[in-house]
Amino acid sequence: MKAPPSETATRDPLLRLAGINTFYGAVQVHFDVSIEIGAGRIVCLLGGNASGKSTAMKVILGLVRPRSGSIWFDGEPIHGVPTQEIIRRGIASVPEARRLFPAMTVRENLLMGAYARSDKRRVAEDQARVLDLFPRVGERLNQRAGTLSGGEQQMVAMARALMSRPRLICMDEPTMGLSPLFVDRVLDLISAINRQGTTVFMVEQNASLALQVAHHAYVLQTGRIVLEGPARALLHDARIREAYLGGEVAA
Amino acid sequence: MDETGRGGVIAIAAKRSSSAPGGLRQSARRSPNAQSGRRSANTMPKGLSSVVRVLPSDSSECHLGSFIDYTVNGLVVGNIYALLAVGLALIFGVANLINFAHGSVYTIGAYIGWACITCLHTPLPVTMLIVIAACGLVGVIIERVGLRPLQGSARIAPLLATIGISFVLDQLVQLVFSPDPRALPSELPNWQIAIGGGTIGALDILIAGIGLLSAAVLFAFLRFTKLGWAVRATAQDREAALQMGVDVNAVNSAVFAVASALGGLSGLLVGMYYNHIDPAMSFQATLKGVVAQVIGGVGNVPGAIAGSLVLGLIESYGIALLGTTYRNLFAFVLLIAILVWRPNGLFGGRAGTQAEPLTGTFIAPSRPLRVPRPALWMLVALAAALPLAIPSPYVLQTLTNAWLAAMLALSLTLMAGTAGQISLGHAALLSIGAYASALLALDLNVPTLLSVLAAGVVTGALGTLLIFPAFRLRGHYIAIATLAIGEIVGLVILNWESLTRGAIGVTGIPPLSVFGQDIYSAQAVYWLCLAVVIGLALLQMRLLGSHFGRTLRAIRDDDVAARCYGISLDRYKALAFAFGGFGAGISGAITAHLFSYLNYETFNSQVSLSALAIVILGGMGNVLGAIVGAVALVGLPEIFRVTTEYRVLIYGIALLLLIRFRPQGLLGTV
Repeated sequence: MKAPPSETATRDPLLRLAGINTFYGAVQVHFDVSIEIGAGRIVCLLGGNASGKSTAMKVILGLVRPRSGSIWFDGEPIHGVPTQEIIRRGIASVPEARRLFPAMTVRENLLMGAYARSDKRRVAEDQARVLDLFPRVGERLNQRAGTLSGGEQQMVAMARALMSRPRLICMDEPTMGLSPLFVDRVLDLISAINRQGTTVFMVEQNASLALQVAHHAYVLQTGRIVLEGPARALLHDARIREAYLGGEVAA
Repeated sequence: MDETGRGGVIAIAAKRSSSAPGGLRQSARRSPNAQSGRRSANTMPKGLSSVVRVLPSDSSECHLGSFIDYTVNGLVVGNIYALLAVGLALIFGVANLINFAHGSVYTIGAYIGWACITCLHTPLPVTMLIVIAACGLVGVIIERVGLRPLQGSARIAPLLATIGISFVLDQLVQLVFSPDPRALPSELPNWQIAIGGGTIGALDILIAGIGLLSAAVLFAFLRFTKLGWAVRATAQDREAALQMGVDVNAVNSAVFAVASALGGLSGLLVGMYYNHIDPAMSFQATLKGVVAQVIGGVGNVPGAIAGSLVLGLIESYGIALLGTTYRNLFAFVLLIAILVWRPNGLFGGRAGTQAEPLTGTFIAPSRPLRVPRPALWMLVALAAALPLAIPSPYVLQTLTNAWLAAMLALSLTLMAGTAGQISLGHAALLSIGAYASALLALDLNVPTLLSVLAAGVVTGALGTLLIFPAFRLRGHYIAIATLAIGEIVGLVILNWESLTRGAIGVTGIPPLSVFGQDIYSAQAVYWLCLAVVIGLALLQMRLLGSHFGRTLRAIRDDDVAARCYGISLDRYKALAFAFGGFGAGISGAITAHLFSYLNYETFNSQVSLSALAIVILGGMGNVLGAIVGAVALVGLPEIFRVTTEYRVLIYGIALLLLIRFRPQGLLGTV
């Protein structure tokens, strides 16, 4: 295991990926990827198609095992820990393309989000709290999730993730395929969730959107982190454009 | 397979018994003159399939009473199917898999019940609990040993693994309990209620009660328990469930346990209902469960229950109209009709429930072993010279069998391997070829050499025509359809007595002859078969290297893309099946002339499945592999004089090990 690159972080990050190398068969997806997600922040991972950003999320969730490198959540190693245990420790996921359970009602979907918890009373409280944040979801509780529109489904997916009372939410392309109206709503909600104290890690292809809400960002290009920095700085960085256009980057 | 001989005799015996004057009416347990209220085991033909044997009742019996009897019988049988089908639906839901080992669990349930009742003398409730617990455990073991290690491999792999597991379990049951049928006493009071001329007995009520209770418990489990939610969530989106913190492996395990417990219970009840169990009931049980599930919509639990009742009733009324030998014909024709017209099932019409369950290739990627041409010709020369070196007729006959199996394997490897249309009913092609040649030679006095060739052509044409409705299906569905078509061929042969001589079979088939010269000697037969195999293999290699072979592989790898390049899928699939059918038909025809006796079970489903094992062993799509696989799986066990029971066990274990450790086979997939 390689030591993580020394960052000038004032405190231990909530989640840390250190020197991750991931392979799909013989194809290497990640090359020494190191990412730190500070507690209470919104961190986004930007990258184009096939840059390995969705895989990075799967690595965090334990769905894909890296060949080398380590993952630390709240000071504890979580590499090699089964997914259900990782969820139990406080990481929730809003998967790519939402992935609701289409034949279950919205209410059942929300309760599936709290699957890892056993405190029924607190779950009910959290449901009320989550529905405050997503009033639209509250109107659809008894509807089958598969019948909702894309934007509504995205809301349900985010609400479902919050039901586990996570400390970290991982979102894979939360704005993908949404109408412009819903894109703004979703970004607002991500900020709102974050203000309530939940750390957010989001994987996005749409850099300009993601950088509006994020605090910190990493840019992934064909499996390597080529750029990182505060979102505000990156928003005006010419290299972002270059990275997306596939130009040479002197990181 | 010795199975065939025995099966034939039993079938004939059954035929006689049912055509005896005053033959047994519908499940004779309803017949007023049967003392015990149930039929005795010695007149019992094999399998759930044919356990109820009836003659079309004469007109005086066609009144309301017998209608009620048939309805009750249909509902009871439907309940039994439901216990099976619900389990299959649950497993299909979470594991995206048709569990071909389900019938084996059902058989195990029946035998455990038999052991409890006749040896331990446990009361019925205890027996049921033991059966439920033991079969649940078997289910967990199936999942753990056969399926969990296959996560992430080709998607057809678990299906093939369950076939392997069913081989192993069935043979273990045979080895432990012997292949003989047993009587399974029901211990229930023998009272009956008369309703409008029909009767309902204690056992009918018990079975209906268990069916209803199981459905209610299952509903409550899925709807109100956390594990039930996890099961539903996993069925709808496995990866999303994983991301909610569901332990998907534990869910799979639980589902296999529940499904197998219900399946075992079903086996016990069936055994009690007919007072008869035997190890051969497993395969038919799987088929019936699958049919019921397809009727209701694959993976749909309430649909599976409804489909089972529909199937039970249709079979029962069908029997009332035409007789029991038509029972399975109804079931399988219904299956094909539903696959073709309503592949989502009668009750699965709602959107969002049906995704294409299995698409794309099931070929394990590999680099095929390159055998240099001179080495190939050396092998051919060696095989040709063998009879001169080892004139032992035993060895030569064994190898002749291997060559015949190789012809079948060549045909299957073309369809399943090269064209990607997995066929589980391939033995039907052998049957068609064998009957065609035998009947041509016997009834029309066609010289055998000509009749064999004609049989090849007939089989190619008829096989393609039969499979044609299934061309639009993919993945699991084509496997089910080919299985059903295979069964249908056997059943048509059984029932079309004027042409095929029915259950009695065809006897006195003339031996092979070339220009009036009969071929009797083992050497001559060996050379003839070897020459045919080499001829077919060369032809197939030539085809694979051509435009035709490339097109088939394109269809296999991505049929949508192939279609986008203007390839007519139907035409190429038809050509593949026609060519494959030709080879298989010739193999069947030669076999018929060598055996001189033939019946509808000579080429049964076990032959189909062993052909599949051969093809996987050699490497899917690999021509040389098919031949090597045939020699290895047909020749070697014979030479080492392994008895039949163990041989099937070896097939099963070989299949399991191959899928797990070398899915590309010995020589690699092409």
